Amino acid sequence: MRLFYLVKKEFIETFRQKEMLPLIFIAPILQIIILGYVVTTDIKNIPVEIINLSKNRASFEIVQRITSSPLFNVKNISNQDKDALDTLKRGRVKAVIRLQDPRPKAGKALNYPEIQVSMDGIDSNTSAIAAGYFNGIIKKYILEDLARKGRQMPVDTHTQIRFNPELKSINYMGPGIVALLLTISTVFFTSVSLVREKEQQTMDTLLISRLTPVEIYIGKAIPLAVLGLVQASLGMAVVMLWFKTPVRGNLLYLLLSALVFLPAILSYGLLISTLASTQQQALFFSWFSMITFMLLSGLFTPIENIHPAIRPLADINPVRYLIKIIREIFLKGNGVEYFYRDLLALAMIAITVITLSILNFKRFISR
Amino acid sequence: MKRIKAVMVKEFAHIRRDPASLLVVFLMPLVMMFIYGYALNFDIKEIKAGIIDYSGGDLSRSLIEKFANNRYFVIEDLAARYADPIKAGEELLKAGKLKEVIIIPADFSRRLKGGQKADLGIIIDGSDSNVANLVYQYNELIILDFLSAFQDLKELISLDTKIYFNPEVKSAFFFIPGLIAILLIMISALLTSISISREKETGTIDLVFISPLKSSEIIIGKTIPYILVSLVAGATILVFTRFWFGIPIRGSLLVLFVFSLLYVLTGLSFGILISTLAPSQKTAMFGALLATILPSVMLSGFIFPLDSLSPVLRGISHLVPATYFLKIIRGVILKGAELKHFLFEGVAMAVFSLVFITLAIAKFSRIRKKAK
Repeated sequence: MRLFYLVKKEFIETFRQKEMLPLIFIAPILQIIILGYVVTTDIKNIPVEIINLSKNRASFEIVQRITSSPLFNVKNISNQDKDALDTLKRGRVKAVIRLQDPRPKAGKALNYPEIQVSMDGIDSNTSAIAAGYFNGIIKKYILEDLARKGRQMPVDTHTQIRFNPELKSINYMGPGIVALLLTISTVFFTSVSLVREKEQQTMDTLLISRLTPVEIYIGKAIPLAVLGLVQASLGMAVVMLWFKTPVRGNLLYLLLSALVFLPAILSYGLLISTLASTQQQALFFSWFSMITFMLLSGLFTPIENIHPAIRPLADINPVRYLIKIIREIFLKGNGVEYFYRDLLALAMIAITVITLSILNFKRFISR
Repeated sequence: MKRIKAVMVKEFAHIRRDPASLLVVFLMPLVMMFIYGYALNFDIKEIKAGIIDYSGGDLSRSLIEKFANNRYFVIEDLAARYADPIKAGEELLKAGKLKEVIIIPADFSRRLKGGQKADLGIIIDGSDSNVANLVYQYNELIILDFLSAFQDLKELISLDTKIYFNPEVKSAFFFIPGLIAILLIMISALLTSISISREKETGTIDLVFISPLKSSEIIIGKTIPYILVSLVAGATILVFTRFWFGIPIRGSLLVLFVFSLLYVLTGLSFGILISTLAPSQKTAMFGALLATILPSVMLSGFIFPLDSLSPVLRGISHLVPATYFLKIIRGVILKGAELKHFLFEGVAMAVFSLVFITLAIAKFSRIRKKAK
């Protein structure tokens, strides 16, 4: 009952500031929509320049296929040879494709152009994908042309893509972004909650009340847990309704994972709050941890790619496990038997952080 | 000029008296650089592929060898390990232990030898569409390579791909110079964001208000000292880029310095603008971080290529200073580009600084008038 009043006080305090309402409810929706469009940019419109020195039909057709492909944005086609390196240095295009007539070879009935592709390799990801696209276009053209001339390829490859057959990255990123937002808002709010009472000297009022330290601790956490859940649900709704991400698994598992995740992340925020001496420090530190959580979560780049030197940091990152579980539930429709280990890891992190943070909280109030 | 100098001296005293904050400003970017430099990596190292070979024979074996010899693939023979390899393959895909399963049907070798068309089945985990895309492309290349034994495709066409500036296609080349852009704008905006809001919080702002100094002199005097601090921080980051991460610096340091100066100025004037707007240091710092980090990471081309963004977002990206500096820093460091390549970008950053500082001065004189 006493706890209830503390929770009520926290809610009143949160909503008394009228800027808070839009911040809590509208900001996450906007963030998800914008982030959803940004982080799911499937690589396309790669700017290229074509130098076609050949006049034969094959080169003409290849140029046409590149031009009509949505993957490439052909900025310029010329018949004049020029230095590809200089063009790339200017940075207007990512690749220069140069076609020329094949040097005559004896006994060759089929004439395909000689092609040189010069790529700007700085964005390694884009260049690898662009090279692949380009290979694909050429290969497809030649196969079709050979088929027209009566030569079939001896092997038919049937590729099936599971879990995300249209290869839409929003299906992969969307649910992960919601997890990230849940982390951001809860850590920020919790990290200032105790230190604010200390800065405004209202902590003493709380302490001379009949609330036990653990009650204060829980009372601080509950309202933020509720807000976090509301925000996350809003976010999920946006991902599902606006971006039409399929949900193949059971959403109850999602709730279960969120309920294991929330205590971990909330007590992390409170831990920051007990360690910091000013709100400024608290915000700073929580912001710093947030970026680290985000980058080591596997949201943008595969976990396996993280350098071994900082892998241990990724292994204790709760966000990483939540994102993995969410993706399995959303995309693969996996049940708990597939991710119970991640859930256990999450639970272990939660227990450790809660213990640390309660111990620290006792030290914090005894001062 | 003399009066601006007085403000500068006072601001330097603030900096000296608060070494803890200064340390944070220097250490944090380095820690960030270390973590992010090692965390952000798109390079695909191993694609775990399960192979189920029902066919046997030298043809299917040579196909499998082609996969095994490719440095990207790590293959596992599912037929040897599981009684029901197809089902096991599906499970391993679901559990995320395999990225793809390749199924070679029983009549594969026989049909190929007999001059008939053979089939090949592949199942790819598409969850991460970028990775799936690459896996698909690599498959195609390997299969094409295998087929060239039958069809002299390689003889028919010569396709030669050269990769410039980053021949090993390492993503560190992409991320580390980019990080400099993110860290510099963050540091510079943070530094000035607290300078006026701090005076507001401690109440010393009134003393500043009643001084005979013009508002523009106060704002400019408060900004200049931090140019030095930001540039030193920038140089530290650059040293790390070169010697710790081994990124070659191919362009001239002078060009880099000129553009960095403009960029830092943009960040500092943005920070001071926030400082005049925010009621407290906390709000100011929070605002500075939020307004610099998020757009700079998301909408500048730092991770996500601008060319692929939707037109609206691409329009917005032109309002993010980091967009311009990213182009410059990648160009100068990795391509050895020169001043003349980035005149437009330089002008854009100068315009940003002017707009921010003018707004800051206007806002500052308004609150000063109100206080009187």
